Amino acid sequence: METQGPQLIPNDKKKIHLKSNAIQQFLAFGSLIILIIFFSIASPNFFQFNNIIGILLSTSVIGILALGATFIIITSGIDLSVGTVMTLCSVMTGVFITSMGLPIIVGVLGGILTGATAGAIAGIAIAKFRIPPFIATLAMMMIAKGLALVISGAAPIYFTSYEAFTEIAMGSIIPGIEIPNAILIFFGMAVIGGIILNKTIIGRFTFAIGSNEEATRLSGVNVNKWKIIIYSIAGIFTGIGGIVMAARLNSAQPALGQGYELEAIAAVVIGGTSLSGGKGTILGTVIGALIMSVLTNGLRILSVPQEWQTVVVGAVILFAVYTDVIRNKKAN
Amino acid sequence: MAEKLLKMEGISKAFPGVQALSNVLFDLNKGEVHALLGENGAGKSTLMKILTGIYQRDSGTIIYQGNEIEIADTKEAQQLGISIIHQELNLARDLTVAQNIFIGREPKSGFRLFLNEKELNLMTQELFDRLNIRLNPGELVEDLSVAKQQMVEIAKALSFESKILIMDEPTAALTDSEIDSLFTIIRNLRSDGVGIIYISHRMEELKRIADRATVMRDGTYIGTVNMREITIDQIISMMVGRQIYQNQRPEIKNRRIEKVLEVKSLNRGSTIKDVSFDLHQGEILGFAGLMGAGRTEVARAIFGADPLESGDIYIRGKKVRVKEPLDAVNNGIGYLSEDRKQFGLMLEMDIKANIAIASMNGFVQTGWLNKLNINKQASKMVDALKIKTPSIHQLVKNLSGGNQQKVVIGKWLTRDSDILIFDEPTRGIDIGAKDEIYKLLNELAAQGKSIIMISSELPEILRMSHRVIVMCEGRITGELINDEKISQELIMTLATKRIG
Amino acid sequence: MKKKSTIFLAVMFLFSLVLGACSSDQSNTDNDSGGSKDGKPYIAIISKGFQHQFWQAVKQGAEQAAKEFDVEITFEGPESESQVDKQMEMLRAALDKNPDAIGFAALDSQAALSLLQEASDNKIPVIAFDSGVESEIPLATAATDSRAAAALAADKMAELIGEEGEVAVVAHDQVSQTGIDRRDGFVNQIKEKYPNITIVDIQYGGGDHLKSTDAAKAIMQAYPNLKGIFGTNEGSAIGVVNAVSEVNRNDLVVIGFDSGKQQIDAIKNGLMTGAITQNPVGIGYETVKAAVDAINGKEVQKNIDTGFFYYDKDNIDDEEIAAVIYE
Repeated sequence: METQGPQLIPNDKKKIHLKSNAIQQFLAFGSLIILIIFFSIASPNFFQFNNIIGILLSTSVIGILALGATFIIITSGIDLSVGTVMTLCSVMTGVFITSMGLPIIVGVLGGILTGATAGAIAGIAIAKFRIPPFIATLAMMMIAKGLALVISGAAPIYFTSYEAFTEIAMGSIIPGIEIPNAILIFFGMAVIGGIILNKTIIGRFTFAIGSNEEATRLSGVNVNKWKIIIYSIAGIFTGIGGIVMAARLNSAQPALGQGYELEAIAAVVIGGTSLSGGKGTILGTVIGALIMSVLTNGLRILSVPQEWQTVVVGAVILFAVYTDVIRNKKAN
Repeated sequence: MAEKLLKMEGISKAFPGVQALSNVLFDLNKGEVHALLGENGAGKSTLMKILTGIYQRDSGTIIYQGNEIEIADTKEAQQLGISIIHQELNLARDLTVAQNIFIGREPKSGFRLFLNEKELNLMTQELFDRLNIRLNPGELVEDLSVAKQQMVEIAKALSFESKILIMDEPTAALTDSEIDSLFTIIRNLRSDGVGIIYISHRMEELKRIADRATVMRDGTYIGTVNMREITIDQIISMMVGRQIYQNQRPEIKNRRIEKVLEVKSLNRGSTIKDVSFDLHQGEILGFAGLMGAGRTEVARAIFGADPLESGDIYIRGKKVRVKEPLDAVNNGIGYLSEDRKQFGLMLEMDIKANIAIASMNGFVQTGWLNKLNINKQASKMVDALKIKTPSIHQLVKNLSGGNQQKVVIGKWLTRDSDILIFDEPTRGIDIGAKDEIYKLLNELAAQGKSIIMISSELPEILRMSHRVIVMCEGRITGELINDEKISQELIMTLATKRIG
Repeated sequence: MKKKSTIFLAVMFLFSLVLGACSSDQSNTDNDSGGSKDGKPYIAIISKGFQHQFWQAVKQGAEQAAKEFDVEITFEGPESESQVDKQMEMLRAALDKNPDAIGFAALDSQAALSLLQEASDNKIPVIAFDSGVESEIPLATAATDSRAAAALAADKMAELIGEEGEVAVVAHDQVSQTGIDRRDGFVNQIKEKYPNITIVDIQYGGGDHLKSTDAAKAIMQAYPNLKGIFGTNEGSAIGVVNAVSEVNRNDLVVIGFDSGKQQIDAIKNGLMTGAITQNPVGIGYETVKAAVDAINGKEVQKNIDTGFFYYDKDNIDDEEIAAVIYE
């Protein structure tokens, strides 16, 4: 087996690789900055404190879901269930707090646990029963959707008499600065996600499984166990997303959620994580999620018709993934 | 004087930071098998990619059938009659032989709407008759052996009326008898006037099949020689720039001290039948046999990669249950697969991650990675194994085959595995690096590691092993001490000896 | 491994148990609805949805009428208002049960025509409800006049902002009949009667609370002088209310549509000025009543206007309003 020309001198190869990596990071971040500059010029109402907070707030739920999805996509899996599992988690929190009268903190933990359980079940189905992730999470999507409706009796659950619950998303823990907690939770989870992915054994195996699952197994790694753990972690993110969503709407809406999984996946992909696995960053996902919401918000402020907003977001996904393809080509 | 088919002169090609080819010369006659030789990175692939239109040259001329030509892309190369058979087979496994050969060029009927399967099979049969290939056009590719799949690739290439056929390591996955039938086809093509460019690392083969050979080194042209007038050692020294003796005998010392691994009556379907053997400390135990004899299957079963039907495994006298690779690894076994890229390495990750992956428990403290220790260990391995790399942060995919193999070895040494199973340790590795791997194996054995080495190259088996186990069709057909009485012929007899 | 598989199976089994137990009360009516075995007339009702409060209220009205006239009914609808195909399957299945009458709220009138024709051929009377069916087949339509209802919202909006200034619409859908009618009813009324009011923006949130919130916030950001927003259904209206409370623009006039606990609360605490309510209970009731009349060969009125009301803080507790709004 002969390697091709540019790999003759590994030194240069390394430099080329670093350069193209940097270019990609710059591309995603650069696009975000360009979008912000563009909208700021196009409308004086765009670049204002309130609107920026609004954008961050609208990023928070999808963003948190996308953080969890990043882990799964790096293992070269996919999770279609995040949207409806998120809903199930918010409904469960609602049941715990309003019907069972449990303390809010217990309800919140219960919601997160629901997400982790759903993730673990999907993980077991994938790892132990060899059901492809697409199918396993598709099934989980339907199960969660049905359960959310059944448990809530197809009616919203309101947290109106639990003001502290709303504070989870809309309160402001930092005195003086009006930054809703939802945003802080999003960035906090991003930091935690980044640490798990880069500093812990879980993150290392996430990349290893995505890079070459069989080689990882043959290195004596209990791939099944780690897959279940990774899906459960993603489920925890989903659960937190569900709680932020419920707190912001002050209610658990059992009919919402479907379609959110695709937006989360889109954010991950725009952020440069490869669907074929083994590659991806949390920072990329955060930027990807921000690009999506800046775009939507900006186009709305410019009163671009909704139909066209969707077209533009679709085009951005194509563009983002294409630059990623080009980068990989260059790196090779 | 034979008719010139192709003449490439003064070919140069630079990639950012690398001069891949400089002023290379190559020519090919009609009806000739011309070997293209060189170590990995010598520039053979780049030259062939220029010839098949994948890369564009920076300078130089290509004269084909008397005319100077430009080859803009692969399609144009195909139209000119230049075809390549890659080392990795590119066949659609779920389609039939005929469907694969004429993919994209299917005969149609009924307003060009419907596929004419009958005509397709007929066309394929005609092609096979012409090439003297015996294959059923309607058979599914996934049901064929690797050798037969290779035949399909050759037939596909020749169905384009190729005048030049480039073969990249065509025998890498073939058994000796399969190689014989491949050579018969090559000779037929030669007498039909096809020019064949033959890339291979197997010197013995070249002696048998090639008419001339062009040697390259570090992107430059070294020389073109007539195969009948040169020895293998001379060619090798042209390739590496120094003398290497291929037919070394091992430094045999009887190291039968302690039984480390004992395997009793392993069975798994038709691939492993009643296999029992022992492995001693400090020993290199060679596993010889033809392709599909069950050697890899035995290795994978011991390692827990595939489930066993029956049989017991004892390590240092203690019976162990190996259901998963994890169990094997915990018992001190390391496995180096024949297919490093698929089963051994995470190509997109760096050297340090690959070296640490089997020993993560040693590198974490309550879940946190100890990156400092990982870096230390990786640097230690890079030094000890002489892995050629600018740093431990290099992605493994950017390393050469030999260095990739060393990374896998480093992974198991880091895990402190006592029993190492090497499956085709030098496959796809160039000669210079092969020597280093051999040296490493000997050193490991001297340190007291016990090694099982599966190899399809008999000189390798004879050079390295203390004992040789020969397998045929899932059974052990012989166990030999590597002494004066052993010979390649004896091993081959055992490897083809069918029992029940 | 074996042990873990067992646990997994047990969990799945539990899940299905929960599903089964909770849904059994819904499926009861399904099970014994195989025609009119027990002598009672059977009416199959296919609605446009069932999860939303609105449809639950329609169902409630239908059940009330069923009790009163001693008939058997089933009530079902697809999960979302875009699932035209699912609704067709439901209609198909209902026809196969050979009911005595059908109540139907079409998601897409064209798609349903052949099935409705089949009903007509088999002499099964069809009563349309909610947005109705564009066809001659239904004997009657029990529905809210959406355009008139949205026009009333426009009048109220104009009155509250002093007949001048900027207003916007957060609509739930740009393709469904109710989405179009409510949007156009509002927009046309403003254009015709209030030249000093401009409609600066129309955004769509798909009825999704969160998306409607973000859409409304973007509108407020883009038009700082905005005086009012009209939300065209429950989800849209709640979204607008959320947006208003998140950015503290309590001065905005918010007019919603339909009811539900959150809208009612918003009106009570002043975040929402008022809302248009249909009479969903009445829609369900009138549909079944018309169907019973048709089965008994009585003449039925072609267009049954089930009515709509504007309600705000002042009249929300009136008996008339309390009867038609739902939590």
